[in-house]
Amino acid sequence: MSSLELVAPSLTDVEMVAAEVWSSFLGDEEPLLIGPPAELTVGWSAAVSVSGEWQGMISVELSAEMADQVTRRMLCLDDGPLPDEDVADAVGELVNMIGGGVKSLMPGPSALSLPVVAAGRVARPSDVTEVCRFDAQWAGSPLVISVHIQSPKI
Amino acid sequence: MYALIIDDSRAMRSILRRIVTDLGFETLEAADGQQALDHLNEGRVPTLCLIDWNMPVMDGYTFITNVRANPEWRDITLMMVTTESEHGQIVRALAAGAHEYVIKPFTPDAIADKLELLGLVAKAVPA
Repeated sequence: MSSLELVAPSLTDVEMVAAEVWSSFLGDEEPLLIGPPAELTVGWSAAVSVSGEWQGMISVELSAEMADQVTRRMLCLDDGPLPDEDVADAVGELVNMIGGGVKSLMPGPSALSLPVVAAGRVARPSDVTEVCRFDAQWAGSPLVISVHIQSPKI
Repeated sequence: MYALIIDDSRAMRSILRRIVTDLGFETLEAADGQQALDHLNEGRVPTLCLIDWNMPVMDGYTFITNVRANPEWRDITLMMVTTESEHGQIVRALAAGAHEYVIKPFTPDAIADKLELLGLVAKAVPA
């Protein structure tokens, strides 16, 4: 096992990455506000894995209402029916950008997977440990970004 | 002028479409590199391709190597637009024939600035 496997992003790293994604794609009118940890009924979640010199998984969990708002903002849609396919696509792109940002701060080279998206909670491998959890609020709804790394093998 | 937007995310294609349409491009879209190659093989050859790296079926890097292997497509401007930000990947994409590299997340101005540098849109003049 390489010692680099234990390298993890700081809370500030994740906050910085998330803030950049939010301001670029969701606008500055409704800034992403840091925590506190809130009761979150997960409507949608998504994860990307990083493999290579650094191995980890970055996930985003958000309420159905927030996923709806994120999708409408990204697709420039007003009220009206929103297919689950569009929500899954937008949430997947969100975690793709956040995961890419976290990956850029970790030792490389490494590769980013395609996003996995789920209505509800995305499954996590049993051999990963949460090393960073960023709780935030946007437009009145809670959001959780987590970073997991592979647990050291015994 | 046509821009071919190649990204597996519909949301990202929508964002890029709005940006380049505002800059005067008409757009075509593809959800992966193979679909994009199909457009080219069917004669829909754009001025500009905006290319994601990580996509199913065919990734953006493979698409670039395919485009650069065909002399008939040598005039197409290729711009990577991706979350992949490692120096080695940027160098690899540029060596394969990409003209520019934009890292997500980006702002509309970042895309416009790159297209100005490439001479594809007029330089903005302050009022």
